[in-house]
Amino acid sequence: MAQIEQSDKGGKKKKGAQKKMSIHVDFTPMVDMNMLLITFFMLCTTMIKSQTLSIVLPSNQKSDTKSEAKASEAITMILDTEYDDNGAPKFDAEANKTIHNIYWYKGVADTVNFATNTKDLTKNYLNVQSFVGNENGSRQGIRAILYDQNKEVMERYTKLKEQWKNKEISDEQFKDAAKKNAADSTLARPVVVIKPGPNTTYEGLINAIDEMNLNQISRYSIQMPNHADTVLLQHYEATHPGTTIIRPLVREKKINS
Amino acid sequence: MGKVKIKRKSTLIDMTAMSDVTVLLLTFFMLTSTFLQKEPQVVVTPSSVSEEKVPMNNFVTLLVSSADKSGKLEDPTVTEGKVFLSFAGDADSTYSSSKVRAMILDEAVAIYNRVHPNKQITLDGAQRAKFAGLNMVGVNFEVLPEFLSMPDLQRDKFQEELANPKVGIPMERYNNDIKNEKGFNQLQIWCQAIRNVAGNIDDVRKAGLTPEELSNLVTLADAIQKGEGIGVKADKDTPFEVVHDVFDNLQTMGLNKFSLMTALKSEDEVKTQQ
Repeated sequence: MAQIEQSDKGGKKKKGAQKKMSIHVDFTPMVDMNMLLITFFMLCTTMIKSQTLSIVLPSNQKSDTKSEAKASEAITMILDTEYDDNGAPKFDAEANKTIHNIYWYKGVADTVNFATNTKDLTKNYLNVQSFVGNENGSRQGIRAILYDQNKEVMERYTKLKEQWKNKEISDEQFKDAAKKNAADSTLARPVVVIKPGPNTTYEGLINAIDEMNLNQISRYSIQMPNHADTVLLQHYEATHPGTTIIRPLVREKKINS
Repeated sequence: MGKVKIKRKSTLIDMTAMSDVTVLLLTFFMLTSTFLQKEPQVVVTPSSVSEEKVPMNNFVTLLVSSADKSGKLEDPTVTEGKVFLSFAGDADSTYSSSKVRAMILDEAVAIYNRVHPNKQITLDGAQRAKFAGLNMVGVNFEVLPEFLSMPDLQRDKFQEELANPKVGIPMERYNNDIKNEKGFNQLQIWCQAIRNVAGNIDDVRKAGLTPEELSNLVTLADAIQKGEGIGVKADKDTPFEVVHDVFDNLQTMGLNKFSLMTALKSEDEVKTQQ
């Protein structure tokens, strides 16, 4: 492994000349071992640390007083995920994402008129949208709708962001100002109710919360769909042949004692 | 005829430089790495634009398992919605992860024994020490002593068998009242233990500190208060209903501010990847 060699050339040596020693240390085993260790560390590490998304849910204590949103400010989003025949969420390979639909309406559901079918039904109609995100630099899908509803806040937010990008304000100032801006009651802000339908996947909900954060919507809540929502969905199905939103649960809930 | 001299060339390659490089790489990996924590199931978290990092200290993780993806089980949903807990304590040693775990375990067992006076369990010192060293635990209290006495490999294997009804913290009893201790399900018992222990640590650590020291100290109770102490980790394809059961129990236990663990995506990336 490590050897000390005497260099002798032809055996003829002058008397008294110092022997030349060259030291060779073979590093090959050392390199082998290092490589093994590197491999070990590479396989055992997490380079990308996962992120967190904070949410606040109401406590289950009954003392909570429910605050009613003004009809002009309210937006309700009923989430739904499409499933394939195998019971797995349908995956759009081209867009590389699971297909989530959002059935949304503005204001308060007028279910009485839906049931009796007497009034003009163009109001409170369910519209369908999906999570498209940005395309060619402009907002698409549900993001554009939410942006329009929260325009006053978002315009100020864009200015703040500009300042922050130009390093006129620090990170902390930017965060504080953005938070204040999102909660500014002098501006017209929507109140969004997210209703994950029974077949929604967890990803669908995260996408919805994401849209809230991106559009700086400070007032939103997560609620379970109620009877009025079912009526609306039934109406949507009736007027749009070929769509099935209300369908048996993909996962049947097991009730064990 | 003159002899043809064959020049003898040495085949030794100087490996020193190579060794230098590998040592450098090795150092880099050793310093930057945080070890993958062993979890009973690998879940793919959904991605979001949020950039908050997962805290290293004072953090409780609730892992919600997803449906079986291996295709070996007849009903893949039996593995769905099992809850596992992991606890991380302070960075300094006063209330390190293992100490916090031991405290939470004692508290949880005490509550369990009060809730189920007919099915009481007791743990010996070795079992408690074992629990303090475990990263992620999620078993029914009934099998907890037995589980903690298993050899390490067997214990990991036991917990990875998600189809086993004893694996995963059960939350079948419905109760939405934090004052009704007798009605707690097992997840609620753990939550209550976390709350109590966090509160106790908070009291002990904050006693006699100056305001300046107080402002630098973040305890588990502080983190929970701010919504940074509890994280829920679930698979992106798990139905929300399943995750909602966990949310509901957290809400009941007054832990209604928490974080959801996500992977990072950028604002513009959304159009191609969700």
